[in-house]
Amino acid sequence: MPDIIEGPPKADEPQAPLTHRLAWFFGLAISGTLATALVAYGLRALLRL
Amino acid sequence: MTDFDALLLARLQFAFTIAFHIIFPSFSIGLASFLAVLEGLWLATRREVFRNLYLFWVKIFALSFGMGVVSGVVMSYQFGSNWSVFAQVSAPVLGPLLAFEVLTAFFLEASFLGIMLFGWKKVGPRLHFTATLLVAIGTLISAFWILSANSWMQFPTGFAILPDGGLIATDWWAVVFNPTFPVRLMHMSLAAFLTTALAVGGASAFVLLRDPEQPESRMALRMAIGMFAIVAPLQLAVGHESGVLVRDHQPLKLAAIEAYWKTGPDQAQSLVGIPDRKAAKTHGEVAIPGIGNLIQGVPRETVIRGLDSWPKEDWPVVGLVYWSFRIMVGLGLAMIGLGIWGTWRCCRGGPERATWLLRACVLMGPMGFVAVICGWIVTEVGRQPWVITGLLRTADAVSPVGAGQVSATLLGFIAVYAVVFSAGALYILRLMARGAGPDEPAPEIDDRAPGSPMAAAPDEPESGERAPRNPEGDRS
Repeated sequence: MPDIIEGPPKADEPQAPLTHRLAWFFGLAISGTLATALVAYGLRALLRL
Repeated sequence: MTDFDALLLARLQFAFTIAFHIIFPSFSIGLASFLAVLEGLWLATRREVFRNLYLFWVKIFALSFGMGVVSGVVMSYQFGSNWSVFAQVSAPVLGPLLAFEVLTAFFLEASFLGIMLFGWKKVGPRLHFTATLLVAIGTLISAFWILSANSWMQFPTGFAILPDGGLIATDWWAVVFNPTFPVRLMHMSLAAFLTTALAVGGASAFVLLRDPEQPESRMALRMAIGMFAIVAPLQLAVGHESGVLVRDHQPLKLAAIEAYWKTGPDQAQSLVGIPDRKAAKTHGEVAIPGIGNLIQGVPRETVIRGLDSWPKEDWPVVGLVYWSFRIMVGLGLAMIGLGIWGTWRCCRGGPERATWLLRACVLMGPMGFVAVICGWIVTEVGRQPWVITGLLRTADAVSPVGAGQVSATLLGFIAVYAVVFSAGALYILRLMARGAGPDEPAPEIDDRAPGSPMAAAPDEPESGERAPRNPEGDRS
């Protein structure tokens, strides 16, 4: 089973193009924000029940 | 009597949940910065030991961050459930500060934590380092807003009282940057760094007692010693400044901290004793006469208010404040001593072979958490009987709920925390006991054809094997 926490790329491993890496960077960041917002608004909705 | 019981139970519940909670942010604030330093050093040097240390401590960071978030949410909900009058009165001032914490710090941390944990290969080393830095900055921004809100509760400024008794901010600058805030923020941030350094040092020393050659633990111990050797004396100076603010703005708290029972000049400095609130005296006290005023930074003839200046029913729990303060200061002095001892051993060759130093580091490993909890007891219990100094008494801030309701939720919290956080803490301790190590296999040698003369060369490691590491932990 692969590690859940990802390690760094190996020194000789070719890097993906910058646009791909930036897409991952912002994609993961926005996903994190959305996940947090979902939990927050979910809890708020739960309180209003 | 029922109201009093509900009040006492609500206070116990808040004390229990916040004492649990503060452990995790104290650790994650320091650990996030430690991770940023480790990754920065790995980027600059590409030394394997920094990468391994990062990959080890990031697991512990993720766990303590998660437990900090979960235990923190409980605090906000208690404002609504047990402290609704406090919430109603103070919301126009404190609500925005807590909202800013969520919007600026929490979202920043939550957004970039994903990249930190799951995105190193996907985004590349530099963007990953940016994410680690942003998470570290986020933890400090979180401390900024929470300390701002708490400092305002200690010494409220920049507000007006509405006809219905509610509070409203009239000067946000004065609310956010009230006079006690900058020093208290610095005191808490340094406490977090110190707590983390002690925990990292303790965990590394534990591994080194087993294996003094373990490269990651050797490096982490030296980094930890360097950190608390610098930060512990600095914390003493900042702590003194924090005490000066208490003297100027919260004289009742000062009287409880020092067990000044009587108002007067030339106060004695109490070292140890058993404060007796009922008898208004300290039993078996060991005190140094004539230096109390000097330590408070005022001339001997200056009158310092004693507890007799206030009605007895307004006094905080003197013994708890008095002893929490002494434990905190005592541990702080022990940390300074450990820093001097560790630095001396570093200069003399190797702290990893000094068995007694390693044992002392293990013993002091959890003491940062103890000091942080004691410090917050001094802050919060010492502020009593006020929840917002001079404006709202704790007894008036509680929700109109019954003792049965509060005791039921308190028991629920104790049961859930005992299971959830014990499991989390035990897992963290197991990870720490195992210690950091070489997690990643060495790059595979895949450029030699099977059966070729190169493949038969005896001095190359076999495919998939770890290359040997030098004493510094790097592969040759």
